[in-house]
Amino acid sequence: MIGWIRSLGASATSFVEGLGQLTVFGGEITASLVKPPSRFGFFLRALYDAGVLSVALIALSGFTVGMVLGLQLYTTLSRFGAEEGLGAVVGLSLVRELGPVVCGLLVTGRAGSAVTAEIGSMKATEQLDGLRMMAINPIHFVAMPRALALTVAMPLLNALFIVFAIAGAFVIGVSNQGLDGGVYISGLESAVRFADDVGQSLLKSLVFGMLLGLVATYKGYSCSPDAAGVARATTSTVVTASVAILLSDYIITALWGV
Amino acid sequence: MQLAFGHRPVYDGLECHMRKGEIHLLLGGSGTGKSTLLRMIGGLQRPDSGIVRVAGHELAGLRERDLGEIRKGIGMLFQNGALLDSMTVLENVGLPLREHTKQSRVEIEERVSSVLSAVGLDDVESLLPRELSGGMLRRVAFARAIVMEPEILLCDEPFSGLDPLNVTRIEDLLVRLNKELGLTVVVTSHHMASSLRMADQMILMRDRICVSGTPEELAGGDDKGVIEFLGEDGRSFLARLHEIRDRGDVGDGSSAGDLR
Amino acid sequence: MQSNASRDLVVGLFVLVGLGALAYLSLQIGGLEFGSQEKVVLRATFDDIGGLSARAPVRVAGVKIGQVSGIALDEDLRATVSMEIETGLDLSIDSSAAIRTAGLLGDQFIAVELGAEDESLQDGEEFSFTESALSIDKLVGRLVHDAGVSN
Repeated sequence: MIGWIRSLGASATSFVEGLGQLTVFGGEITASLVKPPSRFGFFLRALYDAGVLSVALIALSGFTVGMVLGLQLYTTLSRFGAEEGLGAVVGLSLVRELGPVVCGLLVTGRAGSAVTAEIGSMKATEQLDGLRMMAINPIHFVAMPRALALTVAMPLLNALFIVFAIAGAFVIGVSNQGLDGGVYISGLESAVRFADDVGQSLLKSLVFGMLLGLVATYKGYSCSPDAAGVARATTSTVVTASVAILLSDYIITALWGV
Repeated sequence: MQLAFGHRPVYDGLECHMRKGEIHLLLGGSGTGKSTLLRMIGGLQRPDSGIVRVAGHELAGLRERDLGEIRKGIGMLFQNGALLDSMTVLENVGLPLREHTKQSRVEIEERVSSVLSAVGLDDVESLLPRELSGGMLRRVAFARAIVMEPEILLCDEPFSGLDPLNVTRIEDLLVRLNKELGLTVVVTSHHMASSLRMADQMILMRDRICVSGTPEELAGGDDKGVIEFLGEDGRSFLARLHEIRDRGDVGDGSSAGDLR
Repeated sequence: MQSNASRDLVVGLFVLVGLGALAYLSLQIGGLEFGSQEKVVLRATFDDIGGLSARAPVRVAGVKIGQVSGIALDEDLRATVSMEIETGLDLSIDSSAAIRTAGLLGDQFIAVELGAEDESLQDGEEFSFTESALSIDKLVGRLVHDAGVSN
């Protein structure tokens, strides 16, 4: 019994410690942002890896999610004779919640794990130490461009996801179920407002991107320098970032509504 | 360069001094802490207790940025090269120049070519690390370590996994660097035979402590620990080597190029 | 790191497409407005604003001309609603502002009905005629009451 409590205490301490280290790491990345040289080339490359290579996944998932949403909602709405509200409901649910969250989780799995694996294997092959010995700050050189790229890519991918999903729901609602296209679009346009909805979506995706960028680079940077360590860190990134995204989603939603 | 420390379970009461301008060989089996010692000199690891002093600077209290200044005078060759795998040979070797000097791209290219020739490599600038053989990789990493003309060169197991030809090549390079440029060289190895001909000081590590001395001293001394470590063959080998060195034979040195 | 011209191009394309999607969502669907459109601030006081909230639309003949920017209580504890309205519209000073519901159960908005005077309401002025919100429960209550009375 005592042992159980003790291990709980130990877990709590190490959790808080980990959080502290994460924060310090985040501080270092932020400090790196303003120090020269700009690492723009690395940033572009990381943006390619995180953004461009995720487009196919995001487009496909977006469209599919849109189709499912369209089907589910249309069926439900028609029970109340409110099919014409499909555009509005699809738009609001996608923009405010489904877009940022689903996109965030997808990008975490695809790009977040890749970043952790990349940095982790650099640690395991002593490349990070090599950088240090050349008096180059590894956080500035390796982590910062990737974290920034994830932060920038997320809102863009989010917007693409939502657009594809709107299209998917359109296909189902209009072509499949016979809803009028004009009604769909105008319902969408009248219900979704920039200030309340799109703005919230943008904020969420930015925050999710930052969280993912921080967690993915940190886990890679601090992993145990061997193959097993890298694998563990990669899994850990997906789990930690996903939880962080879902938690912050709640927090932002709650605060925004105030 | 002077080094002194005493610390943690890997070592206990270790004390070591390395003089400037000499070639120092750290010998010991696996797990005796040779690499750890090397990393401590580079500031990558800190002792639990004790002092590490490099070129008069005590490393313990320094922050990363200050360590960086000292590291500009140190070149390190890692066991697996530690080259950045997404960059070409040219980009890798030129990296310290790009980061710390204001040299133009052309100047950097020239300098890199010249250093690569010095280690016996030509026309490899546009290759990626994964396209290089083990020996070539090691030599590229070598080039990177010396491109900024450091005063101290640290090499972690530079001979491991190489064929005899490449081993000789690297030994020659180290000796040349030491003789021509006055570089202080610290090399770790668990291979005695391959590296004895160049060491000015041998530091034998086992069971948490170390014994050091010139090859002559170790060959001729009475220390039981040393005798046990080297074995009879080892000691006679050392004695023979002592003669070879006296004759001034430092090998063929088939490489050309300007190290400076 | 090899800088790859075609790869950079693709990245640029990605960013453009992403921003384009974002712009579409913001402008077309979300109705974000750009430029400093001059707005006129008008006020109206009601006994009961019902479910009216900030950013609710202000409409004339069903067309949105502005939105509610603030709701406050005045000294008599009546609700004073401030609204930002597009300039250039001539709303005569005897126009009225009524709180209506969109559809049966929809959101509430302010419907402006024009009056007959020549003079127009200026920036900062107040509607002289207002109609408070009708609430369903009050109506039902009245109905029940009237039904009860007539028995």
